Amino acid sequence: MSEQQFSRAEKFWMNFKLYQLWRFIVLNIKVYTIAVQSKFR
Amino acid sequence: MAKIVVIGAGFAGQTAAIYLGTRLGKKHEVTVISNRDVFGYVPSWVWVGVGHMKPEATIFKLKPVYDRIHVNFVHAAAKEIHPDAGDQYVIGEEIGTGKQVRLDYDYLVIAPGPLLNFAGTPGLGPDGGFTHSICSLPHAIKTRDAYLALVERMKKGEKVKIVIGTGHPMATCQGAAFEYISNVHKDLVKRGLRDKADLLWLSNEPALGDFGVNGVQIKRNGHVMRSEEFIRSIFEDAGIRYQVQTGVTKVEEGKIHWQNYAGEEGVTEFDFAMLIPQFKGQPFKYIGKDGSDVSSKLVNPAGFVLVDGKYGLPYPELAQTPEAWPARYQNPTYPNIFAAGIAFAPPGPISKPFTNPNNVAIAPAPPRTGMVSGMIGRVVALNIVDMVNGREPSHSERMTEMIAACIASMGDSLWDGSAVAIVMRPVVPDRKKYQNEYGRDLFISHLEMGTAGAWMKFMLHHTFMWKFKALPGWELIPE
Repeated sequence: MSEQQFSRAEKFWMNFKLYQLWRFIVLNIKVYTIAVQSKFR
Repeated sequence: MAKIVVIGAGFAGQTAAIYLGTRLGKKHEVTVISNRDVFGYVPSWVWVGVGHMKPEATIFKLKPVYDRIHVNFVHAAAKEIHPDAGDQYVIGEEIGTGKQVRLDYDYLVIAPGPLLNFAGTPGLGPDGGFTHSICSLPHAIKTRDAYLALVERMKKGEKVKIVIGTGHPMATCQGAAFEYISNVHKDLVKRGLRDKADLLWLSNEPALGDFGVNGVQIKRNGHVMRSEEFIRSIFEDAGIRYQVQTGVTKVEEGKIHWQNYAGEEGVTEFDFAMLIPQFKGQPFKYIGKDGSDVSSKLVNPAGFVLVDGKYGLPYPELAQTPEAWPARYQNPTYPNIFAAGIAFAPPGPISKPFTNPNNVAIAPAPPRTGMVSGMIGRVVALNIVDMVNGREPSHSERMTEMIAACIASMGDSLWDGSAVAIVMRPVVPDRKKYQNEYGRDLFISHLEMGTAGAWMKFMLHHTFMWKFKALPGWELIPE
């Protein structure tokens, strides 16, 4: 395996659905909050 | 009663039209002139190009939307702009009949999207050339058909060479090409044909993951991680070869000619290639009252509209001058003319430009698509609302202040698809505000890959189609 490739652990988390659901919520909140701040400048 | 004309109905034009229509449409005259009678959701065309989404799912008719929000629609291609005070109008050619139409205006928004300059690279493009594109819906459909024909050849055991990237030394929109190569990879894996294809990423970026924005940098576990490392990991993992710092100069049947930073010239063979062309401004005629050509007051030589930016600064100075980027997207000579999206002239590149020993400039142009386009469309529309109501324009957002989120698809399946979620603030580095070598807010900037990205991409398709149809609650959805 090349040093540049993702590790097994990273790949596991990228595909682990419960963790991804958590990331989906976090990412949405992050993007929405910041984009809304910009919208009402 | 004020007359407002919007040229174009893409991300920027449509955003401007729905803000203007809902705020001014009942009392004033808002008109959109577009050579297409449908809105096209461009980000999903990467899925059309691999046959994973029906083209009809990415478009909707404009007229019924405009009827609801008090916007007139003229299905015509804008040809001339007459900007001089006292007699300001746009001349268009009606699609289908060829009849000339005249639209008088008090305020004008120029947002027609890019001219796809396939002619800038001999042999490039699907019409008379040898490569494909996903920059328009007809192109994406042609690309899909060619790709599926290639898949049939691979099923018969043939090994093929696929090249995806940029087709001009000054092209932009590397993100779309990245999504396409990732989706092709994923599709071939699913079909069990990945071993039959050699995938090559060929790009004018100074480094992998540059995307024309000088890369993305984030803070992770106390150290700075760059998009270059991240994208390299993705390509290594997927077995995608890559060649950056390369400008495509000519395409022949099955052969791509290029030059790189070192000035070396080379030829890459291909069976299928999807290369993004250079973008230019639309070739409108700008005519003064006396019939003279006034284009030098309105556009730069590439046809992009001059706005309130500081033009002509050398790159090192521009990189240290965030206020050189336009704030209101308003033409200084004709303050009632605004430009949004790809149409406005950026003051220079975001990524470091490079000219090779053969005097070929190899540098990605600044991307102004997607979220950036929509945000500019909103700023422009709200400033026109201010002006119509007798106030000074009060809205501004430079690209050196703007946040952008980009979800780069790497497979559309909601079960095992994936996407890279990229958030950056600001889009153009502001080295005065953010005192680090990248000029970015490393806390807010974000880079992450996983199935959650595929869910977000799916969600964005539906929420943005909702927004652009101006359906209830559209304004709650950010640009």
